[in-house]
Amino acid sequence: MASNPRTARGFTILELMIAMGIFLVICGAMFGLLELSQKRYSSESQLSGSFQEARLGVDQILRDVNVSGYPSKNLFSNPLNSNSYAVSPFAWEPGYNGANSNNPCQVTLTCNPTPAKFDLIVETDINGTVSWIRYQLKNTTLYRSVVAKSSINPVSATSAAAVMTPFVENVMNNVGEPLLGDIRAQNPAMFSNGPVPIFQYTCDTPSGPQPCDRVAAPYNAPQNISDIDVTLLVKTPDVDIETGTIQLLELSGRGHRSNRAN
Amino acid sequence: MGVGTGPIERTRFESQMKTKQPLWGPRRRKQSGTAMLIAIFALLLISVVGIALVISAGTNSSLAGNYRTATSAYYAGMAGLEEARGRLLWKNPNCLVAQLPGMTPNCPNANFVPTAGVPPLPAMGLMEVRYIVNPAPGETVNPANLSPANPYADNEYETEFGWAVTSTNWQTTASIQSVAGVPNPSYKWVRINVATEKALGLDVNGDGVLDGVTPLVFEPAPTIPCPRPNPSPGLMVPSCAGWSSQTAVEALEITALAVAPYGGHRLLQYIVTPLMVSTSTQRPPAGQPMSADFPAALTLDGNGVAYTSPGTSGFMINGQDQCVGSNNQVYSVAYTDNLDGANIIREATPAQNYQGYPPGAGGPPPPPSKAPATIANANLTPPTSLIRSSWLEPATLDATMQEIVNSADVVIPGPATGATLMRRVPMMSATNPMTIVVNGDLNLNGRNTFGYGLLLVTGNLTYDPDASWDGIVLVVGQGVFTSTQTGAGGFTGAVLVAKTRDSAGNLLASLGQASFSSTSNHPGFGINYNSCWVNTAKGPLSYKVLSFREVPLPN
Repeated sequence: MASNPRTARGFTILELMIAMGIFLVICGAMFGLLELSQKRYSSESQLSGSFQEARLGVDQILRDVNVSGYPSKNLFSNPLNSNSYAVSPFAWEPGYNGANSNNPCQVTLTCNPTPAKFDLIVETDINGTVSWIRYQLKNTTLYRSVVAKSSINPVSATSAAAVMTPFVENVMNNVGEPLLGDIRAQNPAMFSNGPVPIFQYTCDTPSGPQPCDRVAAPYNAPQNISDIDVTLLVKTPDVDIETGTIQLLELSGRGHRSNRAN
Repeated sequence: MGVGTGPIERTRFESQMKTKQPLWGPRRRKQSGTAMLIAIFALLLISVVGIALVISAGTNSSLAGNYRTATSAYYAGMAGLEEARGRLLWKNPNCLVAQLPGMTPNCPNANFVPTAGVPPLPAMGLMEVRYIVNPAPGETVNPANLSPANPYADNEYETEFGWAVTSTNWQTTASIQSVAGVPNPSYKWVRINVATEKALGLDVNGDGVLDGVTPLVFEPAPTIPCPRPNPSPGLMVPSCAGWSSQTAVEALEITALAVAPYGGHRLLQYIVTPLMVSTSTQRPPAGQPMSADFPAALTLDGNGVAYTSPGTSGFMINGQDQCVGSNNQVYSVAYTDNLDGANIIREATPAQNYQGYPPGAGGPPPPPSKAPATIANANLTPPTSLIRSSWLEPATLDATMQEIVNSADVVIPGPATGATLMRRVPMMSATNPMTIVVNGDLNLNGRNTFGYGLLLVTGNLTYDPDASWDGIVLVVGQGVFTSTQTGAGGFTGAVLVAKTRDSAGNLLASLGQASFSSTSNHPGFGINYNSCWVNTAKGPLSYKVLSFREVPLPN
């Protein structure tokens, strides 16, 4: 039977309002949830991206430290030249000439710029070539430079813009204002002892391994560095959309060199 | 007529009846599509967001997992390297090499790694390959199965040597890592073999050729007839004419493959060599004793050294080797600075108590008239010195002592007494000699104990002849040996005294005034050189890591 206009009655206004109300509440909740999810997703993916970057960074640094000093001079009875072996697991400045290790500086005292809290040059083999790998923090970017060992000073050789590759970004270990102020406003306990060193050194001494800054010469020479604690303090590229706060993460590890200077 | 029965009322009633049709009515079903769509849409949206979050979390956790397994594979590989390095020592209860005769422990798998000589040192041939395998429960690990289906195939060997491991004399033994209730480290095998230039990819002798068939040796005393421009101890190719080292030992390559769950592979490699305490040089001067590990029963290593003797008939410093079956003789007292000779000779009385080189070869002890000649003048600079150049400079001697400290069985902080010593090492015996370091002063007054093995004292050693020591005694650091007590004991083996540090503990620029003073009326029997005990005590103390590297894997 055809619809009867008299019988096809619409919704009452009350029904519509209730339905609309329920719909709006559900939609509101849904979009609210969606927005929250998006914010969380955004901040979590930023955080996990930064984590991954920092993790790769720490892992690479530790690998380089572990195999530093290979091949050492004592693997040769007649090395072709000083570029064919690693004089020391870690190069230094001032005093390093790539051929002997008789003129060391003192770690944390006279070594400048390297090895230091934010600067390290590893001397090791890369695919059959003795190379210098330098990690250097400039502002908030940790650079990695790799160059074949040569007669050029390692600091100069690894400082050329062409070889310096940004390795980990948003590194906060030695952050300056205004970010420093923002971070401390969020967490007053941070940086209470000043900048956080990326590299902390342990030196071999007759009474066992000791932090290099508590060791007197000659045991605080770069050739005596046995372990390096690496700490990376990394910020996500943007602030947390949800809370507006800076997200920081800290990753650390310890590298141990097995090859000795000689 | 009652209410609701009239026509108007009936119509309203009918209308009401039609409006309030049930939800499952056909009309309602037509209108419900929108709500369903909205609901599905909402569900879809939430699902998408949820799935994205799950995927993101999953990716992140697998990235973290990969990082963790790769790192754990690295440490597992290190565990494998260290197991092999430890089991190369004859003192290890699970050693893989020949033991020193008469000593404990009795290794269940001795002679697995070919050795020769006393003490047993590596003597692996080019084609000898040994594996320690460490399979997980229910798993088979066969590195010599080079099938592509074998995840643990050792293809690296062929890369290094140029021939497949299957063409070598390869053998396997089981790891000792299994401890009930503790998961094994996840390394799969550790390979022990000789090293060659080609295997290392290093032109060791600088001749422009990577020699693939000559096993490399480690030369601890770099004064050899072959050209060795690198003056520090190190690897060499023992191939040049006239090479006849008595000090070089085979260098071994140890390679470990670790495979973590979910595929983290790491291949790590050590080059190791036995660490031994010896001052022996490659080629002693013509006519002087060969191949003794110490030049004398008592070596005073330094400048301006002081020797004070009790001058009694019972106290002897005897360079005649007391090891049964040996006719070797070393000097009675050796010193390294010519200027000290006169004072030492004046103190070395009565002369018959200072027997040793040079006697009539293999004959009876030398007559007393030869007494002054029995005191060595070892003040010869490398390459002809009786003492390695590394034992003549404070820095290098200190580094040598540091190697002993690093591989000692026990390091006791000073000041210590005989009681401390015996409390810390009750297990020390003639068949279980130990390496003991006292980091500081050691005072043995009032003790009546025996010690066996290697004793290094970095401070002053105050000796009581009620106590005895069989083996090697090094007083290196402050370099002061004093004995004022009475007793009947003494030293069987060798004693060396050297001053490398000033009283504040700073390294000296050149070796200082070491002193040996024994002034009692009953000072014991003195020092008898004994090459058996020197061999027992000199090591190998450990297998020194010459190099470590991570071998890049092809995949």
